[in-house]
Amino acid sequence: MVEIGVKIAPVAVSAADLKLGSGPVEGTGVRLSHAETKARYSLRARDAAVLDGVLGRKLPAKIGDTADGIACLGPDEWYALLPEGTTLPKGEGLPVSVVDVSSRALGFVLEGPGALAVLSSGCPLDLAKLAVGRATRTVFETVEIVVWREAEDRWHVEVWRSFAIWLWHAFLAAMHSSGGHAAK
Amino acid sequence: MLLIHCPYCEEARPEVEFVYGGEAHIARPLDPSTYSDAEWEEFLYIRSNPRGRHHERWRHTHGCGRFFNAVRDTVTDVFETTYKAGEPRK
Amino acid sequence: MSGFRLADGGRVDRRTKRSFTFDGKAQWGYAGDSLASALLAQGQMLFGRSFKYHRPRGILGAGVEEPNALVTVDRGPGRVTPNLRAPSVPIYDGLHATSQNRFPSLKTDLLAVNNVFSAFFPAGFYNKTFMWPRGAWEKVYEPIIRRLAGLGDSPKTRDPDHYDATYAHCETLIVGAGPAGVAAALDAAAGGGRVILIDEQEEIGGGALSDPAQWGWLAEASAKLAAAGNVTVLSRTTAIGHYHQNFVVAAERLTDHLSLAEAEGPREKLWRIRAGEVVLAMGAIERPLVFEGNDVPGVMLASAARTFALRYGVAVGRKLVVMAVHDSGWRDALALQEAGVNIAAIVDLRRDIDPALAEAARAARIGCYTGYAVTKVTGRQAVTGVKIALDGVAKEQSLECDAVLMAGGWTPTVHLWSHAKGTLRWDEAWGAYLPDKSHENLRCVGACAVAWDFGSGLAIGALPAAKPLHESKAFVDFQNDVKARDIGLAVQEGFRSIEHIKRYTTNGMATDQGKTSNLNGLQIASDVLAKPVTEIGLTTFRPPYTPQSFGAMLGHHKEALFQPLRKTGIDDWAERKGAVYENVAQWRRARYFPLIGEDMDAAVARECLGVRSAVGIFDASTLGKIEVVGPDAAEFLNRMYTNPWKSLEPGRCRYGLLLGEHGFIIDDGVSARLAPDRFHLTTTTGGAARVLGMMEDYLQTEWSDLDVWLTSTTEQWAVIALQGPKAREVIAPLMEGIDLSAEAFPHMAVREGHICGVETRLFRVSFTGELGFEVNVPAQHGRMVWEAIWAEGQKHGVVPYGTETMHVLRAEKGFIIVGQDTDGTVTPDDAGLGWAVGKKKPDFVGKRSLARPDIVATGRKQLVGLLTDDPQAVLEEGAQIVADPNQPVPMTMIGHVTSSYHSATLGRSIAMALVAGGRDRMGETLHVPMPGGVISAKVVAPMFYDAEGSRLNG
Repeated sequence: MVEIGVKIAPVAVSAADLKLGSGPVEGTGVRLSHAETKARYSLRARDAAVLDGVLGRKLPAKIGDTADGIACLGPDEWYALLPEGTTLPKGEGLPVSVVDVSSRALGFVLEGPGALAVLSSGCPLDLAKLAVGRATRTVFETVEIVVWREAEDRWHVEVWRSFAIWLWHAFLAAMHSSGGHAAK
Repeated sequence: MLLIHCPYCEEARPEVEFVYGGEAHIARPLDPSTYSDAEWEEFLYIRSNPRGRHHERWRHTHGCGRFFNAVRDTVTDVFETTYKAGEPRK
Repeated sequence: MSGFRLADGGRVDRRTKRSFTFDGKAQWGYAGDSLASALLAQGQMLFGRSFKYHRPRGILGAGVEEPNALVTVDRGPGRVTPNLRAPSVPIYDGLHATSQNRFPSLKTDLLAVNNVFSAFFPAGFYNKTFMWPRGAWEKVYEPIIRRLAGLGDSPKTRDPDHYDATYAHCETLIVGAGPAGVAAALDAAAGGGRVILIDEQEEIGGGALSDPAQWGWLAEASAKLAAAGNVTVLSRTTAIGHYHQNFVVAAERLTDHLSLAEAEGPREKLWRIRAGEVVLAMGAIERPLVFEGNDVPGVMLASAARTFALRYGVAVGRKLVVMAVHDSGWRDALALQEAGVNIAAIVDLRRDIDPALAEAARAARIGCYTGYAVTKVTGRQAVTGVKIALDGVAKEQSLECDAVLMAGGWTPTVHLWSHAKGTLRWDEAWGAYLPDKSHENLRCVGACAVAWDFGSGLAIGALPAAKPLHESKAFVDFQNDVKARDIGLAVQEGFRSIEHIKRYTTNGMATDQGKTSNLNGLQIASDVLAKPVTEIGLTTFRPPYTPQSFGAMLGHHKEALFQPLRKTGIDDWAERKGAVYENVAQWRRARYFPLIGEDMDAAVARECLGVRSAVGIFDASTLGKIEVVGPDAAEFLNRMYTNPWKSLEPGRCRYGLLLGEHGFIIDDGVSARLAPDRFHLTTTTGGAARVLGMMEDYLQTEWSDLDVWLTSTTEQWAVIALQGPKAREVIAPLMEGIDLSAEAFPHMAVREGHICGVETRLFRVSFTGELGFEVNVPAQHGRMVWEAIWAEGQKHGVVPYGTETMHVLRAEKGFIIVGQDTDGTVTPDDAGLGWAVGKKKPDFVGKRSLARPDIVATGRKQLVGLLTDDPQAVLEEGAQIVADPNQPVPMTMIGHVTSSYHSATLGRSIAMALVAGGRDRMGETLHVPMPGGVISAKVVAPMFYDAEGSRLNG
């Protein structure tokens, strides 16, 4: 066998260098920071009206729509991002599912005119067409995320806790290399 | 990368959001114990594998999360249509 | 004219000189020169040695079709790129380029001896000759042949560069920025949608760059495109491939054209573009002609000579002969003559020439030989002249020249069209395959749609010659050294389809994928077979269009970003304690915690004894967790799992065994009922996503009437396992609102309360056989609670342990690990878990399969324990087991070892194994043949410690 001298470090070792940044980080036309701490709930029901009743509020009806911190992700699924400390009734015995997932994910905020390019570096969706106020579950390369367009140039990204370090650094890599060089 | 129209999201989304789910319209029997060994084998393992129109399941795993059905041409990979789970075969 | 540089003309910047080296020798050119044009300007004709025969080779083309002039560019350690095409390498200060495939130098190549013996190296030579002795191919022949025949060397050090990648979306993507592509971009831009225009060259313009009359228009158009708010122009960007639904992948070269001092940031950027409409404006590539000596340096495409003169201001010779079968050769000759390049003669096999062209040639005082063909090129390392003959056979005469231009007609570039599964149709007039139909929103414009006027001409295989084909050295594929006679030989040996001829001769299989050779190869095969081209077929175009770096394909996925490495909130505590890790699915988990001087065996032994004698603490956060909520939750679990769930009281846990519909174990875990309509499920670490997906499948598509929903809570909860006789004492002081007494909180129970002020779901479970608790707390508090328990544990001799110790402890108790002790063909009964199957349940996933004939047959492999005769011998996991160690090879293998460890608790080794009819073999001695000898072991029940389970209930 020919020794070619290439030593590839095991993933576990090389990735040990990555630590979650405390942020914020400024790039060309883009700023990456941690979102403020939120209460998170996964809400499920076949009939949204039952869930409306349990929560005492009207849920958005269309997939992708958001209302008062709650996004409709699927035909029977909503994702709530509410002020820290908010608790929701569980609706015991009713045909609904209310699960506290506050600790499951972390939120990042990408803002500025370059934010779209950073997100598009790894997200295959045509995000320019995601209207302000809409949200969707999707992927960034191989990692599942929820993208929430809070304003024209402000994007909230939810990612499961253990993927957050990778995503933070993937965003940084894109911020370093894509500044000022994106499709119009 | 394919673009797949999700009948629940009502938009075309990139393939990496989806997971393929095998041939569609193979319902699990309501009472499997009434199936003969041959019938059960057919249910478990025998698939049509056509050249051309194929009815198949996909799940929009990294989107709305729903399983749905599709008709895809296995030669061209063109999707003829997609429709919600539970709707009749198209 | 200084050297071969014309007095004026070209787009190079004559005020800015660039210095570089070629084969170590100092050279210079102007800013805007390619490596090819700068060296041609210095009179360099020899650029490389051919692949097989080491024949001297020069420049053939002026673009990516170049098959001969392959160079290696050295930009420092780890930055050596082989097989770059000299016409596509822009020069910069400090460029170091070297020629390839020669030893010791380009001019004196000792391996050119291959050429002398070339009669012995026909197509198929290697396959036929190096067949014997068996085994010699790999060890002797292949390494030698690879040294003799090869391209550049592959890199030997790690690539230090970084690569960028992005997705992009547009309404219109145009590939190719020649006149047709630019016009299409301007059109599309006016429509208001997003437009991306990409082109592989240093600047946009394509063929217009070689036509000064178009430069004014080009400058205006470029300015318009730059000013448009909706147009992205990407030059130095190659569209590698077209994939489904107008997904086009392109690689942009960001820094390779810059000197090292100027180069900053990523080297390349991968564009993954989804377009509403794709417009292919990829142009056409001129075809060489096939005649004796058509590979001598100085023989090149007419279009290339035109580009070198008009774009770069370089003459490719002082006296040129044009060999044409196409009008475009005449046009190029006229343009060259006008630019100051001396055209001595135009030779054309055709007798009827467009009178306007003939008249123009006469006016330009160019000698014309119509009806003639070049039959031989004289010269070895450079052209000294040509022999021409009427119809290739009569009236032979010699012409003096130092370069020969070939005009064999044009081949539209249909590569991406074909990637997109667009169909092609044969066009006699063009002698080429043209785009026909596509089911994509895809269209061709310009030359690749034959909407370009090159004039007309012949489509011909080899030029006629008196010398028979099998004696001629007329090349078809320059890069792979395939001659016309090789194709003849392939046909003679019985190959009929072009796909077979291609593989036998390797025609079109080099790094240029036959851009200049495919159609000539087809024509020759068609001539030899006396069949129309359309009956011979066409080889398939596949991505990438030109060779691409692996770096660009990877994008950001390099080193630490290669793939996500999931870590728990407690991971860095383990790191500080010096944990050794292992990767489990995408997670990294602490495998053991060595003290100074300890190896794994010593650390694991200490950790095991610590758990059994006092208490151990273990990070189990990676366990998959699913919250199952809804009025039908119990009904749903009852249908999914093998055992009954409806009767489970809130506050109690149950071990769940999950089968596939085929009846084999696919996952397991302990789950708790928190409320009548709420369960907390656990799955294996690696099985979490798969189990959730499977359950969703049943819920959505089979039992959509059930009111129950699944939520992944794997990452919601940090899980801290306390295992050992002191476990209760450690957590008791920290717990609020939970009575930990054995009576109030028995084994397999769950309680909700608080620990360290944080809500907790406390499980009393054991995967070690000891008194055990699993403390679930919201992940963000995991680290704080872990440290509090750790501090409290100091009073009780707590020891942190990792996955290796966990494996040993559970094996001592005979608990299986799905995926280690099972392999996808193991039923509950095989694994000794028949007790976990609800006999009275009418149905659950996989139940029907448990009654299939093969599943109930005797002799199935069953999980058993093994105790080696030598208590210190540790069997190898995966080792095969035989009943008779003296049986000759191949022996009858009756099973394999699934788990094997040294047990510090028992002071001996233990193992588990899947053995055919295993439970009927209790007490039998079986054998494990290993390279060092046979190890014998006795079959026992897979339970090595505390069989009565008394320690659990402490």
